Amino acid sequence: MSRRYLTAEDVRAAKGGEVVIDERTLVTPQAQELAAELGLAIRTAGGDWTEPVPDRGPDSPYGSRGEIEASIDGASSEGAVVTVVGLNRPGVLAEITRALADCGAGVRDISQRMVGEHFHLILTVEPEPGAAFDKLKQELECLGGKNDYMVRVMHERVFRYMHRV
Amino acid sequence: MPFTDREILETVRMVELETLDIRTTTLGINLLDCADPDLESTCEKVYAKILHHAKDLVATADGISSDFGVPIVNKRIAVTPIAFLAGASGASDLTPIARAMDAAAVEVGVDYIGGFSAYVHKGFSKADNALFESIPRALAETERVCASVSLATTRAGINIDAIARFADIIKATAELTADRGGLGCAKLVCFCNPVEDNPFVAGAHIGVGEAETVINVGVSGPGVVRSALARLGSGADLVAVSEEIKRTAFKITRMGEMVGREAARRLGTTFGIVDVSLAPTPAIGDSVADILELIGIDRAGAPGTTAALAMLTDAVKKGGAMASSRVGGLSGAFIPVSEDQGMIDAVEEGYLSLAKLEAMTSVCSVGLDMVAVPGDTSADVLTGIIADQMAIGMVNSKTTAVRIIPVPGKGVGEKVEWGGLLGTAIVQDPGKGGCKLFHSRGGRIPAPLQSYKN
Repeated sequence: MSRRYLTAEDVRAAKGGEVVIDERTLVTPQAQELAAELGLAIRTAGGDWTEPVPDRGPDSPYGSRGEIEASIDGASSEGAVVTVVGLNRPGVLAEITRALADCGAGVRDISQRMVGEHFHLILTVEPEPGAAFDKLKQELECLGGKNDYMVRVMHERVFRYMHRV
Repeated sequence: MPFTDREILETVRMVELETLDIRTTTLGINLLDCADPDLESTCEKVYAKILHHAKDLVATADGISSDFGVPIVNKRIAVTPIAFLAGASGASDLTPIARAMDAAAVEVGVDYIGGFSAYVHKGFSKADNALFESIPRALAETERVCASVSLATTRAGINIDAIARFADIIKATAELTADRGGLGCAKLVCFCNPVEDNPFVAGAHIGVGEAETVINVGVSGPGVVRSALARLGSGADLVAVSEEIKRTAFKITRMGEMVGREAARRLGTTFGIVDVSLAPTPAIGDSVADILELIGIDRAGAPGTTAALAMLTDAVKKGGAMASSRVGGLSGAFIPVSEDQGMIDAVEEGYLSLAKLEAMTSVCSVGLDMVAVPGDTSADVLTGIIADQMAIGMVNSKTTAVRIIPVPGKGVGEKVEWGGLLGTAIVQDPGKGGCKLFHSRGGRIPAPLQSYKN
């Protein structure tokens, strides 16, 4: 008989040196502790029991059914948007693009404006295929500083959701 | 089409300067299969199931936050109303279940878990009775558990007997947490027409019509709306103001839609709803009262407030509805007094009375929220305040709620600091008189004509 849970009470009531349960049965932490204490083995037909992958329920395969992603003409939807704001000085753009190159990311679009001594720079970049987004983000966001410039990296999808329907 | 600089800077500004964030990613977990004739086993199952499903919630939300560059402030859990699964055990004290929920919340690293709840809008089952009796101790002995009860619906009418009992529960909870300014009551809310997919605490729980597990997302953004209106200036008429709020709400909701889809995908579960609610925090600028002032009201509570709030709530809903087919929960504008610096100031300066707040609740998305009253407020007065609020919800077929804190040892005008998100409250005057006879009559207010829709 398959059961949903194996509790300490079930372990206490178990006869013999082992309990055989279904692979999907969830053994409560208390039951695991008690079984260890009593030297009782918890098994499934296929071997030792290990915590199953969470079964999110009958609806979960349909969680993203029918989602139609808005797309941008010809562009990948997995780019990153880098914005840099700060006091202008020679070498800012070089520092940013050097860090991008070190991460293997290419620049798809770039624009810069000056307001007095300050600048804002926007780059849309194409990360190296398969590279972790947060690594790129960390590498870039540690550049600059309080009285220099600030870098912000956001996923392109954020802008797509917000500005394209 | 590539994004323009204006579009990019607008989004970055919202996140960096205007405190736009995903306020909560709430994992709903159905606990009905945890019912067991033995209370201890029920607790074990509750603990094990929450851990099993939510162990990756915080890491997943943090991962999305870091991958997309969008802050996700809170991660929370909502469960099936505990009264539904507690009946099997026949236990009269359900505090152990609350402790199991609390321990699971601590273990998975969420700040609140909602669902120590019961639906009693028409009557009490034995388990509902046990849950009611357990609320004061459960809230005093746990940190993260939130309790909510349904006391009225448009379909069923208002259960005045339940309200009278709930008033006693509020007072008992305040007494048990007197050393913390009655803080237990901040985790306790009652509803008329509760929504079953609400991701926000204290009322978060997962109704019986929901899936096994579901991700619901709450987006906020009073700061973004406030800044948009400040930029719009005083020359715009109300149609333009409403339009600006709608546009802003649209953009905020899209962000929630994206995060909700991604969180559901990564956790392998169902995406439920986006709740687009302007939910203030004590942080400067993150205030609904400030928005009302920008619309043109001197101070929150001054004449014109209800009309301005009605427009604000409606425009938020309209923007949200255009942005996502999954807008649900409470969606609109919250007016939790102690959590909104502009409201706290308005109470302190005498603009915002409890009576005006009640009027505002007829058009906001929830109700009387985080309102402090004197600790010696009688049970009949609390019953009256709650019944009034339930009546507004019942007749208008809307959700209304009451989260009221009778602060032990404090009188009208005194200040109480709860700290953190719960903020600071000025104890408000509940008004003259009471409703002793109404309270002692008991019974139910029958369902209104609006309920006869079949």
